[in-house]
Amino acid sequence: MTDRPTKDRTWVPPMEIDPAHAAPVPVEEDAPPGSAAERLPALLAEGQRPGIGRWLFGALAALVLVALGFDTADLLQRSFATSLALGTLVAALVGVAGISAVAMLVRELRSLRRLRRIDQLRGEAGALMVTAAQGEGDRFAGALGRLYADRPDLQPALARMKDFVTDAHDDAEVVRLIDREVLSELDRRAYQTVLLAARDTAIVTALSPAAVVDLAVVLWRNLKLVRTVAGLYGARPGYVGSLRLLRRMLANLAVAGVTESAHHVAVEALGGSLVAALSTRVGQGVINGLLTARVGITSMHLCRPVPFGPHNRPSLGKIRGELMSLPKQVL
Amino acid sequence: MRLPNLDDLTTAGSRLVERAGGVAGRALVESSVRLGVTGLRRAGKTVFTTAVVDNLLRAGRLPFLDVVSTGRLQAARLQPQPDPDVPRFQYEEHLKSLSGPDPRWPEPTRGISQLRLAMRYRSTSALKRVVQPTAILNLDIVDYPGEWLLDLPLLNQSFAEWSALTLELAGRAPRAALSADWRAWLGTVDPAGRAEEELARTGARLFTDYLHACRNADGLSLIQPGRFIEPGDFENAPLLTFCPLPGAPRGRGTLWELLEERYDAYRTVVVRRFFAEHFARLDRQIVLIDVLGALNAGPDAVADMKRSLELSLEPFRHGSSGWLDWLFGTKIDRVLFAATKADHIASSQHPNLRRLLDDLVADARRAVRFEGAQVDTMAIAALKSTETVMAEHEGQQLRCVRGTPVGRDRETVLYPGDIPEMRDVFLRPYQFMPFKPPPDAGADGRGLPHIRLDQALQFLLGDYLA
Repeated sequence: MTDRPTKDRTWVPPMEIDPAHAAPVPVEEDAPPGSAAERLPALLAEGQRPGIGRWLFGALAALVLVALGFDTADLLQRSFATSLALGTLVAALVGVAGISAVAMLVRELRSLRRLRRIDQLRGEAGALMVTAAQGEGDRFAGALGRLYADRPDLQPALARMKDFVTDAHDDAEVVRLIDREVLSELDRRAYQTVLLAARDTAIVTALSPAAVVDLAVVLWRNLKLVRTVAGLYGARPGYVGSLRLLRRMLANLAVAGVTESAHHVAVEALGGSLVAALSTRVGQGVINGLLTARVGITSMHLCRPVPFGPHNRPSLGKIRGELMSLPKQVL
Repeated sequence: MRLPNLDDLTTAGSRLVERAGGVAGRALVESSVRLGVTGLRRAGKTVFTTAVVDNLLRAGRLPFLDVVSTGRLQAARLQPQPDPDVPRFQYEEHLKSLSGPDPRWPEPTRGISQLRLAMRYRSTSALKRVVQPTAILNLDIVDYPGEWLLDLPLLNQSFAEWSALTLELAGRAPRAALSADWRAWLGTVDPAGRAEEELARTGARLFTDYLHACRNADGLSLIQPGRFIEPGDFENAPLLTFCPLPGAPRGRGTLWELLEERYDAYRTVVVRRFFAEHFARLDRQIVLIDVLGALNAGPDAVADMKRSLELSLEPFRHGSSGWLDWLFGTKIDRVLFAATKADHIASSQHPNLRRLLDDLVADARRAVRFEGAQVDTMAIAALKSTETVMAEHEGQQLRCVRGTPVGRDRETVLYPGDIPEMRDVFLRPYQFMPFKPPPDAGADGRGLPHIRLDQALQFLLGDYLA
């Protein structure tokens, strides 16, 4: 059969090879990320075109910066003219302000980079899960290990995962293992956080004396929730990062639909209005709580390095049940 | 549709009682599941069963088994045998031969054996947890020869039908040479002649020789009836002295009638008994297949394997749909076909191996899925005895396997060839080599190393352990 024509020229006949020439399959931990991330824009892309508003904003910011610089220089000159001590003091203040501003900027940039990294990982994971190829999974596991290198609470799970992965697992299996061993624990904690936040907003809205107060509380609580969830998944966003997350979330809240089918939304709305008929305040509380829950679950989707599968998607069901029992507790 | 006879009715009745009891008891505390393990020609049943038991007992290498990965499995332990008349699966002995510094593959087992394993776990269902915080699942692993599974279709075949099929098969390429003696003898006898014991015995002997030759030949897996090879208690019994005859049914007192009677006796005493006592009581089934061995042996072996697989799927066609099937058919609702010894090829080839197996069972599988039982395929290795490594050959990076071949002392690196699509399977030669079990397997106390055993178990038992 050997003399039959074979389709490709690169075919190699079966043979034995000297063991000295063999090496374990290399684990390419630092290979450049493949094009997989770009292929799968799983979520809405943001700010594709820098619009005119962005130019305006940039120019204004630059103007303010220049003005600040002039003023500061002026201030320094004047204080040095008054007395050396005052000059030194002001100079020191300026120095501290400048340094901390730079530090903050650096931190923000790093947190943004982490967010982007997670996005990239999620894209890769999505691509790995549908191919049955081999060799990329280890790299992915390594990248994830580095992302969570400073998380002592995840080290046992990571070690367990490393123990389980053998050379016989293909990429999809490696990603599934990571999902099950490392991320499921995070999911549980994140879900708990979301549940608590939803309850908080519901209660505060129901009990607060003025609408302004609960608006402020809901905003603050949502922002805090987003940061906590993102932090749990290793994104640790700064201020800019959280705002950005929140913005993306608002864009995705409607589109991604969280886990809700039209049926669920209808039930939710109906349930909400039923409760509202009983008591406007409590009804508002429940609606606000549900909104917070959706924000939290969307942020889970956005911050998770591996996309949720059909069996482990977080659902609003449990939170809804919890919230619906609130009126009884409050009234 | 085959009409149930009286025997069937009585056994079905007792099974009904048993099942009703099981349903009532299941809701409360203990549940049990019977897992059938079988395999076609040296597919590694014994190793599989040993590895399953060892891994469940130690639970250290089963990340894809939900009950383990979610931390709900508390402990598993071996239990006393439930059925007094079925030999015990010699787990300890087989494990000893597989592990240790100088491991060997266990001797192939003949006949049926069984082992009971109890698993204590926390249930996910809130209702069950209220009744009992920890549930117990009794897993009965029933290990029986693949030939017995291939015997089951005989229940639906008359002597004439079976004769025609067997004769047709025996006349085909690889078997024609092996069956030459027997078929030559068939030419000299007259089926309508007087029934003589001597004739029946000669025919049976030649037929048995042919079956033995098939078994020893490289890669033939369709051996029917199974007890001709492994007679057990029936050695020299009249019900093993028959062979297929050509032509149509003949009258009374003829050789044909004698052999037909014996064929029917075989069906009643051997096949139906196996069906009622063991097969009908199984809940899940795994069929192990040595696809690589068949590929090694050539196109005829693969064709033969495809036929065996189709035959072996026959008993599952009755699924668990109608009430009549529930009484007379099997209650097996999940069947896994697993290509074993996946560690003999580089891990990047596993998807191809699975696809090949998929192709082999495709036609039969469609019918089964339609009628009830859920069928899946997988490439597994019960005991992982090699490692995938990279080697360079004339500037190409090849994925090879490294291990110690059987009969040698030193490790080697083998490039076994890659597994192509079904249609050009035999464009290229293969060289799969048997490897020795790895030294000190499972010495770390986490269970024997394996490939996808956990996923197989999740498919077979996952819902029982939910």
